[in-house]
Amino acid sequence: MSSTVTTQASKSPPRPQAPVGPRLIRWGVTLIILIPFIWGALGLEISPGRIARAPELVWNIVSAMFPPDWSILGRSMDKMLESLYIAWVATIIGAMFSFVFGFLAATNMAPRWIATPIRALLSAIRAFPELVLAIMLIPAFGLGAFTGTLALGLHSIGTLGKLTSEVIEGIDEGPLEAMKSAGGTKLSTIRFGVLPQAMPNILAYWLYRFEINVRASAVLGIIGAGGIGADLFSFLKFRDFPQAGMTLLVVMVTVLLIDGVSGAVRRRIISGEPGKGPVSKLMGLVRTPRPAPQQ
Amino acid sequence: MTGPAEITTFEITPSERPAPPPRSGPFFVVVLLIGLGFGVGGIISGGAGVVWGLTGGVLAATALRWRGQSSHPVDALAVVFASALGLGWSGWALGERGSSVEGTTALLAAVGWLLPGAAIGFVVWRHSRRLRLASVLVSAVGWALAAFFVFLWAEGLGAVESLSRTAVQAGEIVELTGTFYATTGFFIALIGAGVTFALLVGSPALVAVAGSITFTLFAASQIGFSLIKVTSEIDKLNILAQEFWPPEWTWPNLTGQPAENQILEPMVETMQIAVVGATVGCLIALPLAFLASKMTTFNLPTFWGSRFFMNVIRAIPDLFYAMIFVSAVGFGSPFAGALAMIMFSLGIMAKLLSETVDGIEPGPLEASRATGARHSQVVQYSAMPQVLPNYVAYALYIFELNIRASVVIGIVGAGGIGRLLDEQRVFFQWDRVMAIVIVIWVSVILIEAVSVTVRRRLV
Amino acid sequence: MIEFDRATVIYPGGLKALKDISLTIEDGEFVVVVGLSGAGKSTMLRVINGLVPLAEGSVKVNGQEVRGAAAGDLRDIRSDIGMIFQTFNLVNRSTVINNVLAGRLSMVPRWRSTIGLWPKADVEVALQSLERVGIVDKAYERASNLSGGQQQRVGIARALAQEPELILADEPVASLDPVTSHMVMRDLQRINRELGITTLINLHFLDLARAYGQRLIGLRDGELVFDGDIADVDEDVFRGIYGRAITPEDLLDAAGT
Repeated sequence: MSSTVTTQASKSPPRPQAPVGPRLIRWGVTLIILIPFIWGALGLEISPGRIARAPELVWNIVSAMFPPDWSILGRSMDKMLESLYIAWVATIIGAMFSFVFGFLAATNMAPRWIATPIRALLSAIRAFPELVLAIMLIPAFGLGAFTGTLALGLHSIGTLGKLTSEVIEGIDEGPLEAMKSAGGTKLSTIRFGVLPQAMPNILAYWLYRFEINVRASAVLGIIGAGGIGADLFSFLKFRDFPQAGMTLLVVMVTVLLIDGVSGAVRRRIISGEPGKGPVSKLMGLVRTPRPAPQQ
Repeated sequence: MTGPAEITTFEITPSERPAPPPRSGPFFVVVLLIGLGFGVGGIISGGAGVVWGLTGGVLAATALRWRGQSSHPVDALAVVFASALGLGWSGWALGERGSSVEGTTALLAAVGWLLPGAAIGFVVWRHSRRLRLASVLVSAVGWALAAFFVFLWAEGLGAVESLSRTAVQAGEIVELTGTFYATTGFFIALIGAGVTFALLVGSPALVAVAGSITFTLFAASQIGFSLIKVTSEIDKLNILAQEFWPPEWTWPNLTGQPAENQILEPMVETMQIAVVGATVGCLIALPLAFLASKMTTFNLPTFWGSRFFMNVIRAIPDLFYAMIFVSAVGFGSPFAGALAMIMFSLGIMAKLLSETVDGIEPGPLEASRATGARHSQVVQYSAMPQVLPNYVAYALYIFELNIRASVVIGIVGAGGIGRLLDEQRVFFQWDRVMAIVIVIWVSVILIEAVSVTVRRRLV
Repeated sequence: MIEFDRATVIYPGGLKALKDISLTIEDGEFVVVVGLSGAGKSTMLRVINGLVPLAEGSVKVNGQEVRGAAAGDLRDIRSDIGMIFQTFNLVNRSTVINNVLAGRLSMVPRWRSTIGLWPKADVEVALQSLERVGIVDKAYERASNLSGGQQQRVGIARALAQEPELILADEPVASLDPVTSHMVMRDLQRINRELGITTLINLHFLDLARAYGQRLIGLRDGELVFDGDIADVDEDVFRGIYGRAITPEDLLDAAGT
């Protein structure tokens, strides 16, 4: 123990000046947010009067929707199911193709001359909103769910491809090096080095994309590309508000349900822990906890 | 044997090795083979249930034996016998009706599948001892349930597609074909065996994969999306090139005069909608996110309340908001679009930010709570600085999303370039649509590039 | 003055962290609390400012009951108690001065803290607190750019900025190296002597406790097993608190070298 060397702080260092930089940055950021906002608000002719009136107008519509018209529940559910099918098939299309594209676009898997153009292709696909893609496909494939599915699937390839390649680029390279040095082939490196690391995240992204696709497929009907969107569009257009309310309710409940289930599964996949949910409890009932030694 | 060779033989006590945990790979092969077995059986039998069961059962027993799940001839006999008996019943129940399958028929036919399910479960249990007797029951019920749903969905699975739908709906009696028995058998086995072996492996992955395949095929057939259709329609893509190219950049407006900037002006309006929506939405999201995180919320009712509110907002797609607001404040109004974008941004930002707040360090919160600060001060001085960079990055990301979303809300009359798109679309002016789409596409790519660069610098 | 009267804490899950503690701490005392980890040291400090609620008994700070105090009263009690943490609990992304100003949050009007318009007097208090621990030159740097010892001094300055009557220090040196530990302990001792602030410190290093403490409180499994002057403390007393012989791990200067 070093004794009484420092009876410090009797003489304090001089006080520094408050720096100007942070304050300037704060003002700068405020302006960067404020100026475009004012520009936008002016361009949209948003006046205080309109804002003040808006809640009442919206409330009128919402209160006209409830109570909803339960008689069309069956029809709405059928249409919602069609939207779900579209979302599911589109997600599968997206997952299958993006899996391949993801590897090709990852710089640690593919050579640069392949990865760069694939990346450009993926972001080019991504830049088309789903609905715009659907509009562009209509002249070839006509109105209907087929067109909607293709459009959603294409867009999913773009988004999932990017996410997959990012997951693959983010993996730990150590095990890959170990496998290469042990004489593994490219394919075996992917199977035993890349997939175990990347697959949970990729799977979670697939599920996440499904959640998004359910929302997207619900609106495809607006342009006649299948699903429940057409219903809501026409109900609102002809001011059949109770029917519109029912349609909206079905969409909301479905989306909430799917989000809940998919979110729980995603958390489970990412954490890798055995779940505590009812399914896992059921599994525990029928399985013996520890395997008996075999003869 | 010489000395050195003997040195290398270690004494190994077998009891020290733990039994390897089951892996899902081999079982997946078994699942597929069993499915194939019942499929082949279905084609051969064409409705003769006993033949169906016999062939399926033989292949199932072979697959089990090949993967080491059964070793005794009695096991094989049990599976084959149970399959023949059960599917004999099933085939009889289906054959009696011979048209599209209704609920009662499906239930009656599904009962037969209890037998092969139970037999396979029993064999696996007897051999591996990893399961309990109860799992045999679960396996049997799993197979029967799979059968019930598959029979109900058989039309959707494409098995009855050769029949005209209207004929079925009209109630005309149509013979169920070999394809029906093949596809239903295949998919029942896929799900049923998936359940059985998922029990054994202890992971639901097999059920998930088998279920996903089945559901995909079902969903695809429901929306008329089959591989055949894709391959036969793919050459129609030529039409796209003819219709869309070359783009037409200007066209006379409604008064008949050539207009200037008729694409760019609505695009600017779209950007304004996106900016206003993102700014207001992200601002409102700030308090909501802190209320919806366990770290910074007041109490449990507030927490659950704001979480529910947040999820409900997110549950409504952006275009639905646009439609509702258009009905409320008037058609063609960009104000409605801005309102829709506010709700859209609010939902996403609240979700992303509250998840980030969940992960902040609790220490600084405790420290300022210990100084006697009020709740709002604790949040502002200890939680806010921790999430600020994420908040800015999310805001930019949401602005990007808003651009993409606000180009389409015009389709339902909420202002911006979408309205232009819709006007030209309904008159099949595809060359003009092309010009609009190019403008949209370039803007989206440019803004994304800028936003990504800024975000990368930030975090 | 702090009065514990049969204070008992039960955590959700049934763990009794504090059992029937009764003692009194007079103004201006420098008290060291020792015990193994899990003995209830942190809990004992946290019931004083109400961060952990009491299950039974009572704790009074200057005659004011902490148990069951209304939110506003609890804030008043807390505003007079400075707290120092093992992991410093600074907001890493904020500047040092902002971290210290957090100590004055309970004393400024809410609108002022919301827009960050601090009264001159409060900024002055914060700067003086920093001067007292000798790191005012770092005032406008990010907290994360400071070394561990400096960060802990910011923590002390934050407590001082409250102009407290009492300082609670929860293992203040457990994340620091031996040399810095002694410096921080001397800072705390000096503040106690110069300003007369009552100080309670949790420690698990016995030599530090002996070197700086006046009064020593020993906890074992949530029970009070020793309370007396540091001069009366010998090997046997420590053995009674720890339930085993002293090992080098219990001594800072032995463990550090």
